[in-house]
Amino acid sequence: MLYTSESLAQLIEQFSQLPSIGRKTAQRLALHILKMPREEVQKFSEALINVKEKILYCSVCANITESSPCPICSNPQRNRKIICVVEEPSDVLAVEKTHEFKGLYHVLGGALSPLDGIGPEELKVKELLTRIEDSTEEIILAMNPNVEGETTTLYLSRLLKPFNLKISRIARGLPIGSNLEFADEATLARALEGRTIL
Amino acid sequence: MKLSNIALSQFRNHTNTECEFGEKTNVFLGNNGEGKTNILESISFLLLTKSFHAKTDADAIQQEKKFFSVHTNVISDTDIQSKIHIYYNKEEKQKEYKINSNTIQKLSSVIGEFPIVIISPEHATITMGSPAERRKFIDITISQSNKMYVENMMEYKKILRQRNKLFEIGNVSLKILEPWNEMLVKYGSKIIAKRIQFFKEIFPIITKSYASLIETTEEPSITYIPQSENIEEHYTVENIAEILRKEIEKKYKDEVRLKNTLVGPHRDDVVFYLNTMNVREFASQGQHKTFLIALKIAEFLYIKEQCNETPVFLLDDVFSELDEIRTQKLLSIVENLGQTFITTTNEKIFGDFFVWNDSQRKFSVKNGSIVNEKVFV
Repeated sequence: MLYTSESLAQLIEQFSQLPSIGRKTAQRLALHILKMPREEVQKFSEALINVKEKILYCSVCANITESSPCPICSNPQRNRKIICVVEEPSDVLAVEKTHEFKGLYHVLGGALSPLDGIGPEELKVKELLTRIEDSTEEIILAMNPNVEGETTTLYLSRLLKPFNLKISRIARGLPIGSNLEFADEATLARALEGRTIL
Repeated sequence: MKLSNIALSQFRNHTNTECEFGEKTNVFLGNNGEGKTNILESISFLLLTKSFHAKTDADAIQQEKKFFSVHTNVISDTDIQSKIHIYYNKEEKQKEYKINSNTIQKLSSVIGEFPIVIISPEHATITMGSPAERRKFIDITISQSNKMYVENMMEYKKILRQRNKLFEIGNVSLKILEPWNEMLVKYGSKIIAKRIQFFKEIFPIITKSYASLIETTEEPSITYIPQSENIEEHYTVENIAEILRKEIEKKYKDEVRLKNTLVGPHRDDVVFYLNTMNVREFASQGQHKTFLIALKIAEFLYIKEQCNETPVFLLDDVFSELDEIRTQKLLSIVENLGQTFITTTNEKIFGDFFVWNDSQRKFSVKNGSIVNEKVFV
C-alpha cells in the first residue's frame, strides 16, 4: 500500500473523483484536511451533506433551490412575461450576475446530445411547455454556442412556434473591450452572421 | 516562412537531435530506417500539430519512453520570429503546444498559422485511392488558408456523429431528427460552397504546375463531384442548402435503414482527368506520380497566395520512382519555391546540378542522429 493510513487513502480517492482534481492535488487537499481543526472539518462535512439533503429542484424553473418554488420564481418583482431558457444552473448564475435580466428562468438540465444519451425526454422540455401562460410574451433561448446548444435552440424554436410568442436567442459575438483585429476569425465570422439591422 | 533550426527529443529513433537548417533546400540522406522521415514528421507536428502518417501521437514517442518534445524557431516572410514547442506525454495523454511560451488551448487554431505542404509515399492514394483520401487533400488545403472552413468542418463532423448516433439508437422520430437535419444543411452547405470556390481557384494552378513538370499535350483537369448531384457550380450557399434539404427528405428511409447519414459533403468526391482519361482508373504509374506532384505544387502555390505566407515544402522519398528528367525538373522547381526538406536514399539524383552552400545543405542521417552536416563543399 502506498499510504500508511487506510482512511487517508480513502479521502484521496474521494477527492480525485472530483472534476479537474488530479492525483497530486487530491493528496494535497487530503493532507490539508488532516491539518485543519476538527470543528472546521465538521463544518466542511456538514456542508457536503447539506447540499444533498436540502437542495432540491424548483418545481417551476428546475433550478437548484432550498425551497420550491425558488426565490426567483416566487419573487413578485420579477417580470413574469419573459422566460430565459438555459442549459444548467450555472448559466442562471452567469446571467444573474449581469443584473440586466429581470425575467424568469427555465433550466433544461443540459442540451440535446444523442452521443451522451440526451434527448428531449431527458431535458425539462415538457415542463417548459406547460408553464407557458397567456401572459407569457417572450422566450429567450440562451444555449451554449456549440453544436448541441445550437441544435437545442432549433428544436425548441420549432416546438414553441405554435404558441405565438416572441422567440429570441442571445447574440454570439465579440468580447467587450477587445479589438476587431484581435478577434479570432471564427468568432468574428459568427458575429457577422448574427449581425443586427439598425 | 522558414524554419531556422529544430531540436527533437525522444522522437521516434531520435533521442536528442539538433539541426540548423539552410534557407532553401535541406536534404536528408541515409539508408532506410535511419530516421530521415522522422525529421519531416516532427516538422509536421510543429506546424500542423499532428503527424502526416502516424495513427496516434503516441506512435511518435521513442520506444520505452513516456513523452516526446520538439522545438523550432520559425521566421515569417515578414521577418517575425516565433518559437514553437510541442510536447506529448502518452501516460497523461497530454499534448502541449506553445508559441513563444504561450500555451495554445485550441490546437485547431494553429492550422494555417504556419503553412506546410507535404508529399510522402502515403499520398499516392490521393490519385489512386478512395474518395476519403481526396477529401482529406481538399480539406487540409482549404483549412490552411481559411480558418472558418476548419471551424465549419469540426462542427460538421460533430453533427454527423450525433446524427448517426440517433439512427443507431433507432426509433428516430422526424421531430427529433429535424433540428439535426437543419444543422447538417447549415454547415454542409457552407462546406460545399467553399469547396466549389476552391476548385475554381486551384484549377488553373494545377494546369500550370502540370505543364511545368512535363512537356506534354496532356491537359489535366479536375471535376468536383458533390454527393448531391443537383448542385451546380454557380449555386449560392442558400441554393445548396435548399438542395440538401430536399435530398435529406428523399433519403430519410434509406438513412433509417442503413443507420447512417447519406447526404452531405462527407460523401463528396473529386475526379482527376488527363485530357478525357480518368486518372484513377487508367493512368500509368508515371502519370499518377506526375499528377500527384502537380497537385502538391498547386497546393503550395494556392496556400501561398491565400495566406500571404510561403509554406515550407516537405518531400519524403519522392524521387525514388521518378526518371532523371522529371527529377531534375522537380528539383529546379522546388529550389525556387521556398524552403524545402527532402529525404532520399540516393544522393546521385542531385548530380552536378545542385550547388551545396549555406542555404542548400545536406545532412547524413544514421541511426537516429545527424552524423555529418556538410555545409560548403
